[in-house]
Amino acid sequence: MKSLIDKLGKTFDIKDIVYQRPNLAFVTVSKEHVLNLITNLLDYEGFSHFVLLSCVDWIEDNAFQLTYFLNNPTLKIDIAVRCFIDRNNPTMTSAHHLWKQIATYQRELKEMYGIDFPGSPGVDENFVLEGWDNIPPMRREFDTKKYAEETFFPRPRNKTNDPKEYMKSKMYPND
Amino acid sequence: MSLKDILMPFKAWGNVFKEPVTLKDVKREGAPRYRGFHKNDVATCIGCGTCEAICENEAIVMVPVEGIETKNGDSGLRPMVDYGRCCWCGLCVDVCTTNSLSLSNEYIWTTNDPEEFRFIPGVVDKPWNNSEKGWTKPGPNFSYYGKERVPMPELKPDERDKSFIEIVRGYSKEQAMKEADRCVECGICVATCPAHMGIPEYIKAIRNDDLNEGLRILYDTNPLPEICGRICTHKCETVCSVGHQGDPLSIRWLKRYIADQQPAENYKKILETEKITKNGKRIAIVGSGPSGLSAAHYLAQMGYECVVFEKLPKPGGMMRYGIPEYRLPYDALDKDIDYIKSLGVEIRCNVTIGKDITLEELHSQYDAIFVGTGLHLGRSTRIPGTDHPNVYQAVDLLRDVTMGKDIPATESIVVIGGGNVAMDITRTLARIQNQRYGKVNIITTSLESEKEMPADHEEIIEAREERATIIPGWGPVRIEIENNKIKGLHVVKCTSVFDENRRFNPKFDESQTNFFAGDMIVESIGQGMDISYLSESIKENLKFNERGRILVNEYFQSSLEWLFVGGDIIQGPDVIHGIANGHKAANGIDKFLSEKA
Amino acid sequence: MSFFSIKTDRSKYPQGGEDGKLQIDLDSHKYVKIWQGPNHPGVTGNMSVELTLAGDEVVEAKTHVGYLHRGFEKLLERRLFIQGMQTSIRMCVAEPDSNEYVFCSCVEELAGIEIPEMAKWIRALILEMARLQSLLRAVPGQGGTFGLGVGVQWGIYMRELVLDRFEELTGGRIYHMFMTPGGVRGPLPTGFKKRMEETLKEIDGFIVNIDNLMFNNAVFKKRAVDVGVIDPSWVDKYGIVGPTARSLGFNRDVRKNYPYLIYDQLDFEPYTTTYSDIYNRTRVRWHDLITTVDLIRQILAKMPEKGDFKAETPNVLHWRIPKGETYVRSESSRGEYGMYMVTDGSEKPRRVNLRGPSYNNGIAVLEDLLVGANIADVGAIMVSLQVCPPEIER
Repeated sequence: MKSLIDKLGKTFDIKDIVYQRPNLAFVTVSKEHVLNLITNLLDYEGFSHFVLLSCVDWIEDNAFQLTYFLNNPTLKIDIAVRCFIDRNNPTMTSAHHLWKQIATYQRELKEMYGIDFPGSPGVDENFVLEGWDNIPPMRREFDTKKYAEETFFPRPRNKTNDPKEYMKSKMYPND
Repeated sequence: MSLKDILMPFKAWGNVFKEPVTLKDVKREGAPRYRGFHKNDVATCIGCGTCEAICENEAIVMVPVEGIETKNGDSGLRPMVDYGRCCWCGLCVDVCTTNSLSLSNEYIWTTNDPEEFRFIPGVVDKPWNNSEKGWTKPGPNFSYYGKERVPMPELKPDERDKSFIEIVRGYSKEQAMKEADRCVECGICVATCPAHMGIPEYIKAIRNDDLNEGLRILYDTNPLPEICGRICTHKCETVCSVGHQGDPLSIRWLKRYIADQQPAENYKKILETEKITKNGKRIAIVGSGPSGLSAAHYLAQMGYECVVFEKLPKPGGMMRYGIPEYRLPYDALDKDIDYIKSLGVEIRCNVTIGKDITLEELHSQYDAIFVGTGLHLGRSTRIPGTDHPNVYQAVDLLRDVTMGKDIPATESIVVIGGGNVAMDITRTLARIQNQRYGKVNIITTSLESEKEMPADHEEIIEAREERATIIPGWGPVRIEIENNKIKGLHVVKCTSVFDENRRFNPKFDESQTNFFAGDMIVESIGQGMDISYLSESIKENLKFNERGRILVNEYFQSSLEWLFVGGDIIQGPDVIHGIANGHKAANGIDKFLSEKA
Repeated sequence: MSFFSIKTDRSKYPQGGEDGKLQIDLDSHKYVKIWQGPNHPGVTGNMSVELTLAGDEVVEAKTHVGYLHRGFEKLLERRLFIQGMQTSIRMCVAEPDSNEYVFCSCVEELAGIEIPEMAKWIRALILEMARLQSLLRAVPGQGGTFGLGVGVQWGIYMRELVLDRFEELTGGRIYHMFMTPGGVRGPLPTGFKKRMEETLKEIDGFIVNIDNLMFNNAVFKKRAVDVGVIDPSWVDKYGIVGPTARSLGFNRDVRKNYPYLIYDQLDFEPYTTTYSDIYNRTRVRWHDLITTVDLIRQILAKMPEKGDFKAETPNVLHWRIPKGETYVRSESSRGEYGMYMVTDGSEKPRRVNLRGPSYNNGIAVLEDLLVGANIADVGAIMVSLQVCPPEIER
């Protein structure tokens, strides 16, 4: 695993290497190099199984983290390639030509985070949210509870009492 | 495709002759572990709301229940479950601090009225309330929070029994964080604390490693955290919800941890008291004990100019002259007092009210007066022989120790009393005996049985570790004196101390007697107040209650509106009540003076 | 037996335009659009497939999900770690325990907690029982798509028996919520092994019956053999995992390749075939049933009698986990089931992402596999991929 990362490090500018488990490593590369790296892993290093494409919203750093999980079924090792993209202008090169299911992931990320993948098939179509008229819901600033309360008509929760405050009102209201 | 493929499926016809597996109209009981409707033992439940905190669906709300009183250690609230929200995960059961909540294996019950699916388990009559089966907390050791207290590092008996250095070493950061992690943030303790300190909040500050915030929370309600962190009677810990199934939180030691970590020079910056705008009004405070200092602190914070008058050479009152150094070192005491001084509070020591200056004179010079003079007169048992010169009062001896006077500790001593003061004098004398004679020979006896002894349990254990002999359950009868020398103390068995109304009314079994040999007797059965500094004209205008205490309102204002009284002479005796009194009196003085203006 | 496999002359249909998309002119009256689902008996759950048909042959298929999006991944970002377990399981109804396991395992890995030996065995037992009950629906369910309802009825009954055991062990029938970060929430009940063995005996009989009813059935064979054939090259291209990959000769089983819990102490060999049509995919699952029953027996025999079942955790009400990220996988009855969790040092996860096999199977694979299929086989193909829509939408 380590020799592989070292080898890749010669070609690519790999940062923040974390060996989470002996067979799972997280690496960070710049946005421009992600596609090169995963293509390299697929074509030359036997990482033929694409596991997952995921996004993490680091709203405080104004960045989206994209994580591409690749698996080598022969060596039984995983590499997760991370990259950070600008949250204000979230665009990423599409990788749908490498694995078929990536198009679905990218379509979902477009809908849930608003990250555009130009050229990805069906990326602009609705995935699960038909007629959605709000900000992409998986973004951190979207408040699910507030949205649900405004949109639907839930039966309100009963009034509850905080033990501390309640005891104050009963036992020492004037202090 | 073969003939076999055509014929084989017909084997299914074999099932025609089997018994049907369908059950008709059978009331099937859930498994013994089934998670059905809630049960709650409302008598055990303390309404801490931990079930509500862990419920991810907000299905549990805490509501008052008729017939359940809000009292110390019980919020009087009980969980109400909304079954439209409940997902029957049972985490409320697993986290329950008292083990009162459980689930029944009932799942068939239904009703037409949706409102009926919101009810208070254990209060509303349901057929499964007494059912034995259903989900309970899995195993006695199963816990979602730490049940065991992080042990406090202490000096071993042989390291401490000759000297007065502090026994308790204090938590390290790691230990404090671990201990603070056990808190479930229910807040039941806050009502029991006389000062109503923000206990869950400052424990949270420890968890967040934000000790500046912690100190701010402490000073909101308690200006003597170093002191309270060491010697508070920690009534909060007796009601701690975590204590129901494990050790209660070390609330006192955690408070001490916050105060210990902050150097004194940072206090003013953290507490934002570098600049206080004075309002020009002056307050006189008589007595520099906890109540006086507390009042001075809060008044100074509000901009009042405070002068504290202290009879003894140094400020602190009982905290300095009553509590031995091994429990409360003087530098910790001085740290808290120096901070209060730094707010502009002037402390004039060696000034006796009534002798050096009268209360009337103070009244003419100051806008209001707070009096917190405490209980410094030792009470006597008045048994035959107590007039002998070798019979001492514990408070007097303790005061002399602090003042550095020579203590008349003989080789064998008998102490009468079962409170913390008795333990303090016992352990102090044991140390002196150890220093002087290299051995300990001290017997402490009390009326109360060991369980009823008012002293903190750890005090008794530690006194025994230091080789003092504690013999509870005996009532003193007379002191044996021969050739003008004390030989010892005659006692009879005490069978009960309090009557059924919890009034002090000791009963003795005269047939069982005992004799404790010793050539010095120390009495430590309580203290009385000395209010001789009040002139007759003031006394005439003051109202007293049936127990002889000065009558005050909720702001500790006496019937003379400029005179506020607090501390041990009103409530207690302990430090935290004094602090609370002083704080309330400060607010009262502020209210009184601003209304007058 | 190839007389049923239709070789269609695709040249008569319009070829892709410049962008590679089919040019289908619905006004030409040559095509019909049919929506299969979201409430079609052949659809496993709430999902619909938009089919464009020429005659009875599918020329284009499009999966539509969104009928039960509940935003669980978002909800998990608003839950304490202890509360996440109850939410995460609801991401897949058919086999909730894999969710439970991967969630708890992620939390434990990021918090650096080692769970006790006993908890590992009980977890493995629960996972195998979950696989069993899932397969008891899935295997006869394949017959159900061809109208063979008898097997389904048997399967449901057998599944109920397994659920009874679940109820006894965990206190719940469908959602067990028995694993907890740090271990499990109880030991085995007394007499459990005996009653489990009785249940397994019943299931043994069922396995034989299903063999007779389905796999030696002329009608089933005619409908299943050579239908919905997947090319081996698709495995990597589409990220196919689990039984579907095994039917293609790829021995992809997380239990074997990346042993977790105590699977390295168990003796089993995942079944593989080399030709993936509906028949073989179902056959692989039927063999999985046998393997699972055997594994449960092995677990019950090998598991320790006594032991702690939960490690000490910090106070769960304010449990903070340091910044980190991990991916934990397990083998569900449908294949690799993983969870990606990111923590940021707070009391709640920053991101939880579930990787379910249905995500690929239900959309990318299904859309391409249905092209050229007969309309009557659409449901069967879908079930043979064991698509579970809740797990796609999460």
